Amino acid sequence: MNKLKLNYTSLSFLPILVCIPLGYQLINSIHFGGFKLFQEFLISAFNPKIDNEIIITVIKRLNETILIGFFSWLVSIIFGAIFGIISSNIFYKIFNIPNFFCRIIRFFLTIIRSIHEVVWGIILMQIYGINFSIGIIAICIPYIAVNSKVFAEQLENIDYKSFESINQINAPKFSSLLILIWNPIINTFKNFGLYRLECSIRSTVILGLFGIGGIGTSIFLSFQTLNFRELWTYLWSLAILIIISGLIFKKIKFNTTNKILSIFFIAVFFITILFSFSYFLYFIFNNNFENFNSVSFLFKSSSDLGLFYFLKLILETIILSLLSTGIAISLPPLVIGIFNNNTSKIFIKIFAFLLRLIPTPVILLTLLTFNNPSLSLAALTLGLHNAGITSKLLFTNLDSQDKRNYIAMKSLGISKKTSWLLGLFSQQAKSYLAYCAYRSDIIIRETAIVGVIGSVGLGWQLQESLSSFAWQEVTMVLIAYSSIAIVGELINGKIKNSLT
Amino acid sequence: MNNTVLELENISYKYKNDLILNKINLKINSGEKIALLGKSGSGKTTLISVLNGTIKPTQGEVKLFNESFEELDRKQKSKITTIWQDLRLIEDLSAEQNVNCGLLAKNNFYFAFKNLLNISSFKKAHKYMKLCRLHNSIYDKKIRKLSGGQKQRVAIARSLIQESNILLADEPFNNLDPKLITTIKNLLLENVDKNNTKKSPKTVLVALHRLDLLNDFDKVIGIRDGKIFFNIKRNNLKKIHLEKIY
Repeated sequence: MNKLKLNYTSLSFLPILVCIPLGYQLINSIHFGGFKLFQEFLISAFNPKIDNEIIITVIKRLNETILIGFFSWLVSIIFGAIFGIISSNIFYKIFNIPNFFCRIIRFFLTIIRSIHEVVWGIILMQIYGINFSIGIIAICIPYIAVNSKVFAEQLENIDYKSFESINQINAPKFSSLLILIWNPIINTFKNFGLYRLECSIRSTVILGLFGIGGIGTSIFLSFQTLNFRELWTYLWSLAILIIISGLIFKKIKFNTTNKILSIFFIAVFFITILFSFSYFLYFIFNNNFENFNSVSFLFKSSSDLGLFYFLKLILETIILSLLSTGIAISLPPLVIGIFNNNTSKIFIKIFAFLLRLIPTPVILLTLLTFNNPSLSLAALTLGLHNAGITSKLLFTNLDSQDKRNYIAMKSLGISKKTSWLLGLFSQQAKSYLAYCAYRSDIIIRETAIVGVIGSVGLGWQLQESLSSFAWQEVTMVLIAYSSIAIVGELINGKIKNSLT
Repeated sequence: MNNTVLELENISYKYKNDLILNKINLKINSGEKIALLGKSGSGKTTLISVLNGTIKPTQGEVKLFNESFEELDRKQKSKITTIWQDLRLIEDLSAEQNVNCGLLAKNNFYFAFKNLLNISSFKKAHKYMKLCRLHNSIYDKKIRKLSGGQKQRVAIARSLIQESNILLADEPFNNLDPKLITTIKNLLLENVDKNNTKKSPKTVLVALHRLDLLNDFDKVIGIRDGKIFFNIKRNNLKKIHLEKIY
């Protein structure tokens, strides 16, 4: 009997097996109570509400979203670079500081980024109340940590011999640091910076669903009032914003040899740092701390969480992450492989765009119209949203790939699907899986969002505990969240290293 | 009068389980021009790395101007400049920016900043690049876009601009055509005698393979398996010496 041989291609499809238990539970919990609502939701997509009043609201809400998104991006990218530098080995080599401090900073940043911006937002809102700047701060906290990791990873690629060479010139330490890190930092900003701005806008929308403001709040309010036509007006305007910003980002080219532009960027850099510090101090000293007093309950409040119940929540969160990751990995290649013609591809691309566009809580709430809340439904939501993102990457890579193998296989009479699988996808499978490993880090963090709405896992418990000011429980949930995310990041790091 | 500028006392260097340098004793006097010969893997590069302080020896002491290398400050250490075999240029910077990096030791942070923004003066860098026969069309080109020979000369210009007292060079004639080899060799060695100014390195140690280039050197050191086999005046070099190391 032939043994089953696993390769990168088969490993990309294998996770689709998660659909078996998932499908079983979804079929069992189906109901038709809200089917009409779902139908209405779909029809409204083609008939959004358009009048003067809503257009003014859209412009106002989009402005808020762009402002929160832009400022949180600016602050997080600059401080991300600074923390990236002080969490990179090169910094400690140049200044002869024990590497121990580097590990402490990295650990601290890992904990911060393991908690999703929505969780930070909910906590901050609980303490300070709803506030425009809470949105910026909530996004900035994990984003600084995420950006710092990316910058630090790029700085780790600095050739050690260049360091030795500059070190041998015996330049002042700050000059050595600047010379060595300048280009990696600039290149990371060029390749990664604008993508993070897009992420920042998306996060602003999601935080908006939880009341921070911007178009997200309008989306949530129109969903709550079942005003689907209005909802789709907001969603389509968001789509237009994302498409236009994507087109602008493609056009933007950073010319670092332009002296005036370089000086302008440096001025922005220092002004942002100065402004952020002053605002931080203002925020600390001028805020109403009445709500903050509730933190003192941390040591007074008792926890009603039973051990087994708590373990169940942790297990649910882990299963939720695994199921969602399985869908996000396997669904795009499977769908693209099966419906492998130009017309289908256009539809898949549109569908994937919608999955990326519609915030996960809205997808989940829509699916809840014909399915009971369950772990499977939350996993399906998170999986579908992330499949929209992984499919975008897969399409981009497949479109830019050399198609000679595919054409040669087709000319040999091999079917179109098999030629696609062996001639095109097989060459992308390894890098695709490596990206999915990175994506699963994000999925683990995003379990918090669907958890809050879908009543599963630690996310739900967090919401409950926060609502009742049970700070001890909140702390326990956050520690559990961080631990899962950190372990997940370690495992994914190993997988990524073995794939790259 | 003791005019020793660099001294190695009983130097050994072990990497993992391999003994790369084995109890080396060496004195380099001011103004000496020394050729370092040896097969590939004989320990030439490691010896240069120990001499410039990049590698700390497992055993023994390195002295620069009769002081332990460990105790010297940055300014004193900058009296040594090195041309590395693998050049060690910064690929993302332009040729002139790389050459200007040689001036970092004598300038402050602001200079490094201006260099990166291309707003510093490249006058001195251009002078040394011209001396190394680099055409002005490549001055602002990124290192990764240059040919092997051009990169080699950028690395040499970066070293020369430091105007250090001691020059260590690890196979600096790689990638150069015969005409350029003569020019660069003269630049590294003959300038020392002709100008004898602060601008030129006074003491030179060059690791090389080509025996036809030995003419202008005062001394020849032969190294094999991490041990110095001979340290003699060039005029005394005989075939038997070379047979010992090759």
